[in-house]
Amino acid sequence: MGQKEHLRNFGMLAILIIILCALPSNINLYLRSVIMFTMMYVVLSLSWNIISGYTGYVSFGHVMFYGIGAYATGILVVDYGWHWIPTLFVGVFVSFVVSLIIGFPVLRLKGPYFAIAMLGAAEGTRVVATVWEDLTHGGEGIGLPNVENSFETYFAMLVVMLATIVVSYWVGHSRFGIRLNAIREDEIAAESLGINTTFYKLFAFALSAIFPAAAGGIQAYKVLYIDPETEFFILVTIYMKLFAMFGGKGTVIGPILGTFILYIVQEITWVKFPTAHLIAFGVFIVLVARFMPRGLMGFAIDKGWARKGMVH
Amino acid sequence: MAEAEIALDIQNLKKYFGGIKAVDGCTFQVPKGQISGLIGPNGSGKTTTFNLLTGVLEADSGDVFYNGENIVGLRPYEIFNRGISRTFQITRIYREMTVFENMLSASSMKIPVREARERAEQLMEFVTLTKLRGEYGGNLSYGQQKLLEFARALMTDPDLILLDEPAAGVNRTLLNNLLEHIHHLQEDQGKTVLIVEHDMNVIMNHCEKVFVLDYGVKIAEGLPEDIQKNEDVIEAYFGHR
Amino acid sequence: MQEKAEIRSKYWLAVFLVAAYTIPFGVGIYTDNVFFDLQWLADLTTVILNGIMQGGVYAMFAVGLTLIFGVMRIINVAHGELVMLGAYLTWMFFFYVGVDPLLALFITLPIAFCIGLLIQKLLLNAVVGGPELTPLLITFGLGLTIIHIVEAIFTTDYRTIPYAPDAFQLTETIAVSRSKIISFVMAAFISISVFVFLKLHRLGKAIRATAQNADVAMVCGINIFHIYMITSGLAAALAVAGGALVSIQFGFNPETGVLYTLQAFAIIVLGGRGHYIGALIGGVMLAVIESLISFMIPNGTAMVEIASYGMMVFVLLIRPRGLMGPKEN
Repeated sequence: MGQKEHLRNFGMLAILIIILCALPSNINLYLRSVIMFTMMYVVLSLSWNIISGYTGYVSFGHVMFYGIGAYATGILVVDYGWHWIPTLFVGVFVSFVVSLIIGFPVLRLKGPYFAIAMLGAAEGTRVVATVWEDLTHGGEGIGLPNVENSFETYFAMLVVMLATIVVSYWVGHSRFGIRLNAIREDEIAAESLGINTTFYKLFAFALSAIFPAAAGGIQAYKVLYIDPETEFFILVTIYMKLFAMFGGKGTVIGPILGTFILYIVQEITWVKFPTAHLIAFGVFIVLVARFMPRGLMGFAIDKGWARKGMVH
Repeated sequence: MAEAEIALDIQNLKKYFGGIKAVDGCTFQVPKGQISGLIGPNGSGKTTTFNLLTGVLEADSGDVFYNGENIVGLRPYEIFNRGISRTFQITRIYREMTVFENMLSASSMKIPVREARERAEQLMEFVTLTKLRGEYGGNLSYGQQKLLEFARALMTDPDLILLDEPAAGVNRTLLNNLLEHIHHLQEDQGKTVLIVEHDMNVIMNHCEKVFVLDYGVKIAEGLPEDIQKNEDVIEAYFGHR
Repeated sequence: MQEKAEIRSKYWLAVFLVAAYTIPFGVGIYTDNVFFDLQWLADLTTVILNGIMQGGVYAMFAVGLTLIFGVMRIINVAHGELVMLGAYLTWMFFFYVGVDPLLALFITLPIAFCIGLLIQKLLLNAVVGGPELTPLLITFGLGLTIIHIVEAIFTTDYRTIPYAPDAFQLTETIAVSRSKIISFVMAAFISISVFVFLKLHRLGKAIRATAQNADVAMVCGINIFHIYMITSGLAAALAVAGGALVSIQFGFNPETGVLYTLQAFAIIVLGGRGHYIGALIGGVMLAVIESLISFMIPNGTAMVEIASYGMMVFVLLIRPRGLMGPKEN
């Protein structure tokens, strides 16, 4: 059992890939970048989902990995003259190392304390990026060379998104994911029943840290200018959290669905109501947390459209 | 009674909480391949002892030897992977995971998924939960949760099983089922079982050896019928007459 | 007879605090910002005194957070936004009506109390005792909403209230600004009043009973949801009072609330979550460390933020109880 389901899911993914590959040459620059940023937020919310949805450690500071990736690309391209593709790997590697260094102490904190410690870690990274002027150019930011790159970044982001989806799919349909779930449900029981929680949490945290770094790097090459305020902007964390929660955290489809719906909504509203849309997002977080903590997927499960659990 | 082989050798185990001496120099040997009982009045340190044995709490001092190895100071999962499994006094199933996922979560990563799945199916059959396999653990009745927890503890085919009050909150029929399973494990598979229990019927009718704790110290051990007559035990339960 | 781990954690906390206070000196010496002449010592004394005055205000709004945590086990991450809101309310009354910032407290505190009451009734009452993260997310969304509403009305420009800017000469070389002294006195007065209220008044006793054990309190005929609402109102009032006292010392804009939340959180972690006196002591300690850092470390003002985060994370890791918090189960 299960084989058929996997085939169906991969069939759907294949169709999505074909559409996304065919699209860019037929649409204008603006739409191309909207789709690119949608894909970016799919990467971010799925990554956030690995540590926060499956493992239950809700991170309020995931933007730090995105920022690290952006800075790796910015610094290496501008100051060292690298081609931009290899810089993504450097960003991923740095992010991986940072996630281990930060994760080891911080993942020992429970629930809200982890959340706030991550908020602090992200703000701390921002301060470091501002103060360490020799490396990061400080508050004035880094301008990247302007080349026509909307196709390159589009396809790079597509590749990163596919990697994230495949990894999330593996997490969401394996014993690894079940063990992460067990940690979320009851860490003491999980530890007593053979799960090395320290290792699994750290593994999940590192997994959730590497993809945002790649996304951040691509994004830096796309927007051509980065500074600490925008690359470590708390709103990025808020978006990834909200998209994943709205779709349904702890599922693969949820964050993707949530991102596609909400990112499009925010893209339409922010141009017209730059401040009001932020107020609305604040209210929206309150409503989602209060009234639909399990998101759209939870709703689907209650209605019988989706099955409970992730392994059947 | 012939000297049985020793499965778990507990030496002078101590655990203090602030000024409270929860376990204060506890020493006893659990015989291999038998069902043993651990009893004592409320607050005598039974559950604390369990938590010390499984590594959930860190002992202040003392040793626990399992297969010749001192397991004090190991992390709980390391102890579990050496073949000691347990259930909890108040069930700790994963509430927002399905019954099947609960089972699978405890399987060893060393065996292939296919085998783990088969074993989970067998065990669910064994405790009659197969038709609930897709239901959330939190939606089960308390008795069913107890069964699930029991089955989950057997996923890795452990040699030593620690059961913390398996009878509490379980109805008679279910309890008899459970006890039958436990006997089956011991007789047919040669497992060692240690039960903490308040229900004296369970202890007296099913255990071959009983240990009595009071104020964190072992005050008696022996066959169930001897324990029933033991003066110290009666005093610990009912006070001076 | 204490547990080994307990003694160990105390020891590490002491080591950490000593390190926290000496590191600024170390960095200061390394970067040639420390001179050890009379003028420098006078400056240092000034800085420490200012830090203590500052700490009184921090302590006051941290007390609000610790009250909520103690009674409901909820971490209100919108607390800093309420402080910021308090600063704006005071500013509004000062600029549009011309009310003295301290007299404005008589108007702003009742408003704040009602805001706290409403937040509790509409959003938080239903989630007390549930999963810990739900209230965190709710208050987080609430904070975001408050920030952007204020931003929509007042823009992101920094505002200031010119109030008693002159310095009070303690000796020839040591001076403390008068607004800081006034703030400190007010903060101390308010904190002590609340403390006395909690200790002596019937309602205060009910609040403490609920904090100890909500189930027992309920059985004893206390309507715990009323208690929750009053606690929330009180906490909001403390936050807004903190905002008023901050507003006469520093500039503020809608974004500064996040920093206040983190400071307040670091303080209650250091002092011991849910512990009243702990929050007061923690507030002064954090403020002194902050002023030492900004005095001796180059780029120190940016580093001040890191000080709160570092303090919070380290204390949580070393000794989650903090200085005097209740024991974790």
